[in-house]
Amino acid sequence: MLKYIIKRIVNYAVMLFVAVSMTYFLASAFMDPRSNYMSRHPQPPVESVNRSLDNANINDQTPIIIRYLHWLKNVVTKWDWGLAPDQSPVGPAVASRISASVQLVTIATVLSILIGVSIGVYTAIRQYKWQDRALNVVATFFLVIPPAVLGLFVAFGAIALNNAAGARIFFVTGLHSYEGSNPWLWFVDFLQHIVLPTIVITIPGAVSYHLTQRTYLLDTMNADYVRTARAKGLTLNQAIRKHALRTSLIPTTVNIAFSIASVFTGAVITETVFAINGLGRYFVTTINNNDINGATAIAAFGGVCTLAGALLADILSAWLDPRIRLS
Amino acid sequence: MTMFFRKTKSTNNSAAQNQSPKRTAAAQGDVVLSVRDLHVSFASEAGTVRAVRGMNFDLRRGETLGIVGESGSGKSVTSMSIMGLLDSNAKVTGSITFRGEELLTKTDAEMSKIRGDGIAMVFQDPLSALTPVYSIGEQMKEALVIHNPGMPEDEVERRSIELLELVGIPNAKERLKSYPHQFSGGMRQRVVIAMAIANNPDVIIADEPTTALDVTIQAQVLDVLKKAQRETGAALIFITHDLGVIAGVADQIVVMYAGRPVEQASVEDIFAHPVMPYTMGLLGAVPRPDRDKTDRLVPIPGSPVNLAALPTGCPFAPRCPLAVDACRANEPNLEPVPGRNGQSAACHRTREILDRGLTFRDVYEVGKGVASKFAGVPRERRAVVLDVQHLKKTFPLTSGGFLRRKIGEVHAVDDVTLDVREGETVALVGESGSGKSTTLLEIMNLQQPESGSITLFGQPVTKGLKRAQRRELHHSVQYIFQDPMSSLDPRLPVYDVLAEPLKALGWDRKRINDRIGELMELVELNPDQVDRFPTQFSGGQRQRIAIARALSVNPKLVLLDEPVSALDVSIQAGVINLLEDLQNKLGVAYLFVAHNLSVIRHISSRVAVMYLGHIVESGTTTEVFEHPLHPYTQALMSAVPVPDPIAERQRHRVVLQGELPSPTERIAGCPFASRCPLRLTLSEEQRAMCDSQPPALKQWQPDHVAACHFAQVS
Repeated sequence: MLKYIIKRIVNYAVMLFVAVSMTYFLASAFMDPRSNYMSRHPQPPVESVNRSLDNANINDQTPIIIRYLHWLKNVVTKWDWGLAPDQSPVGPAVASRISASVQLVTIATVLSILIGVSIGVYTAIRQYKWQDRALNVVATFFLVIPPAVLGLFVAFGAIALNNAAGARIFFVTGLHSYEGSNPWLWFVDFLQHIVLPTIVITIPGAVSYHLTQRTYLLDTMNADYVRTARAKGLTLNQAIRKHALRTSLIPTTVNIAFSIASVFTGAVITETVFAINGLGRYFVTTINNNDINGATAIAAFGGVCTLAGALLADILSAWLDPRIRLS
Repeated sequence: MTMFFRKTKSTNNSAAQNQSPKRTAAAQGDVVLSVRDLHVSFASEAGTVRAVRGMNFDLRRGETLGIVGESGSGKSVTSMSIMGLLDSNAKVTGSITFRGEELLTKTDAEMSKIRGDGIAMVFQDPLSALTPVYSIGEQMKEALVIHNPGMPEDEVERRSIELLELVGIPNAKERLKSYPHQFSGGMRQRVVIAMAIANNPDVIIADEPTTALDVTIQAQVLDVLKKAQRETGAALIFITHDLGVIAGVADQIVVMYAGRPVEQASVEDIFAHPVMPYTMGLLGAVPRPDRDKTDRLVPIPGSPVNLAALPTGCPFAPRCPLAVDACRANEPNLEPVPGRNGQSAACHRTREILDRGLTFRDVYEVGKGVASKFAGVPRERRAVVLDVQHLKKTFPLTSGGFLRRKIGEVHAVDDVTLDVREGETVALVGESGSGKSTTLLEIMNLQQPESGSITLFGQPVTKGLKRAQRRELHHSVQYIFQDPMSSLDPRLPVYDVLAEPLKALGWDRKRINDRIGELMELVELNPDQVDRFPTQFSGGQRQRIAIARALSVNPKLVLLDEPVSALDVSIQAGVINLLEDLQNKLGVAYLFVAHNLSVIRHISSRVAVMYLGHIVESGTTTEVFEHPLHPYTQALMSAVPVPDPIAERQRHRVVLQGELPSPTERIAGCPFASRCPLRLTLSEEQRAMCDSQPPALKQWQPDHVAACHFAQVS
């Protein structure tokens, strides 16, 4: 097992290196940071543009391989991911956004798993009863609403509530606004900010976990081994809980492990609606601003998330299902 | 052994439950379970399905009740209502009393106290009956602890090991840690039986417990089940469609049709003189493994009833040759047959049947077969259609990694030599995994084999075969699959199914239309139904369509892979007759794969026995069945259940130990050596020979070869 994991991690490191290097070359080929400077009015002198570009190691007049080796050396030796065209360092910018995205996505993911899986189990046991049908209608409704619409709807609702209460219960922009040092007030402030975007991300997630978990459990609920368990003397609910649920959780666990990768894409639309500086928005910005180093750093972080998810999915499914051997 | 079966319950058991071995013996013969006027119906889209309509029986301790019937006869639904495991949309009326307690009014929680304790169940498919994510030990423990809360850990383990040893699982202590997928099908069924008897039940219900197993494994599991019953003194309800199995197991038999018991009697009476025409038909439709074919099989005409739209009157009347107007008007009750102790039948014409002493030959029309085109032509003078010499097929076993390195080989077919001549049927028999289907597929492939040779109609199949020649061969060799449902495209009407191969031949529309009409008549279907879809036909009819499709291009050789095993007994007989007639009419040769040895004895003229990719014996059907030479063939033949209770009781059975070795192993000597009963009787030197030298096929009798160093010719 341990040997397998180590082998896997080494494999993944190689894969990640190749992927990130390719991203670097692709981004360098397609992005033109020089145009950022050349389109300024008044146009700065060419020497000063070149100096700025050289400083950020994104000068298209330097051979790509030299830029690449220089960039690689900085990343490996100094963990320095380079500068954006406006000379701001990429590393801290990405780090702060990771923190924002993690705050936003983690809470929402945990909630959507808990809510979605519980509703899935609840409705599967009551297949075709009114509870199942009603929750199915609700799920279908939320499934077809685009996140932007849901986001605006929630925001307007919150504003209406704020107006009705005459106080600011919910904030509709940003993640923090308290600047004092009282941890309790800081936490309340954070809650006031996080509630709305969390609702917007949780609902679609919960709906999809609800529908898939319901299907998985229905598949295993009628399995022969559940019948065997009942024949041994377990009641229907005991048999479902002990025998059907565990097997039906295997595919859900794999889904959850892979959802780690969604931290990286963040929630572009939700971030935009609620003006949160998360990774999703940052990714779009780097591409728009010809930020070669920024885009590469984001791609590297995305790769790490995806591969960590894949590894976690492998380990978890092997742990849950004895038929899978890791070797 | 009885001491192993002390009730392990320590708490919460009433005095009545707590039987010492002595009390068990005393209680022998008491009625433990009685079913009265049981009705079960389900709401479905097609209407109310009346699955069980008036089931009655009493079950005594130590007794075995066999419930026989075809699919949809209500036998499984009966057992599930006893267990209280029916779906919630089932409507159940009547009464089921167990040790005097009414079961039908109990809640799921109350029933769960009885399930697994008083009444236990063994299901059909052992591969899916155990939860894949729990070890055998955990599942055994659950069966014990749920009824004996507070049973100490070491006692649970001791009892689990004891139970697994009883059902014949070697290394029981270590195997407790294994997971279900690490066991073979037969072994898993033993585990299920061990769990069923864990709490010394009074009633064991076995629903088709051996249907999914190979015949040699079936014999082992039946032995285990009998032993388990003997040790617990429980009553056994044995549900099956296989009359051969039931003949050897049951004391009493209930025959079910369309949800009703239609005949009930002791096993001897049912087999010796059945009264109800359906029972007669069922018995007449089964080929016998222990006798040469004397006559055609007698299929029951028509198809099984639709439970959602039952006819008025006797549900069997539409298929019954003796039906009169009274039969179509009202349904007969199960009544005692006059002059027969303990036998009852549901038939309006019981008296006439008794008076005139009618047997199934009188009731059903035994059709006349068609004389063979090749009748009177000795085998040596017939042309060789297929000649296979030392055929070999391996599949690579790859590692799971990125590069998929080859880490071994599966020797699916190792050494197969056989020949098929015009107008004859050669059967390939063997356990699952012996390479029968792979052999057929290799022949069908028309590619040069890995090793050995395939010659079709005198034309060796090699790499250099021209495209036109290959196409020619493709038309001459056709394939019929096991499952007619999945081998016919559900979205193609029958016309298109049949026209497809003809279009490939470039026939014009007029010729195709004529040919399709001809084919439909050939397989005894109504030519007007060609615009229907396969799903609108019953299983037997679908298989007829598959046969028509295979025959459309006038093949000279048809490869049949288990063509009748998915069909009910009464339907199967009709398809077998059809295959025989077509062969006689058209002179086509069959290479027939089946695991059902009775069917093979009936239909084939020659038999080749396969074991682990090798042909171990071949010869004429009579020779191989009557005087098997190879110890494996002997065991196989002795394991086949015979639908005759008297013969079944007197039979000596060679029960093979162990299981089929893995085909990935390389075996130096005889592949059968690890399980061979003959080897155990040999001297040291002889054994060494078995272990080191692979035996070649050797002629022991005229036209009878076997691959054994020490076969004994009697």
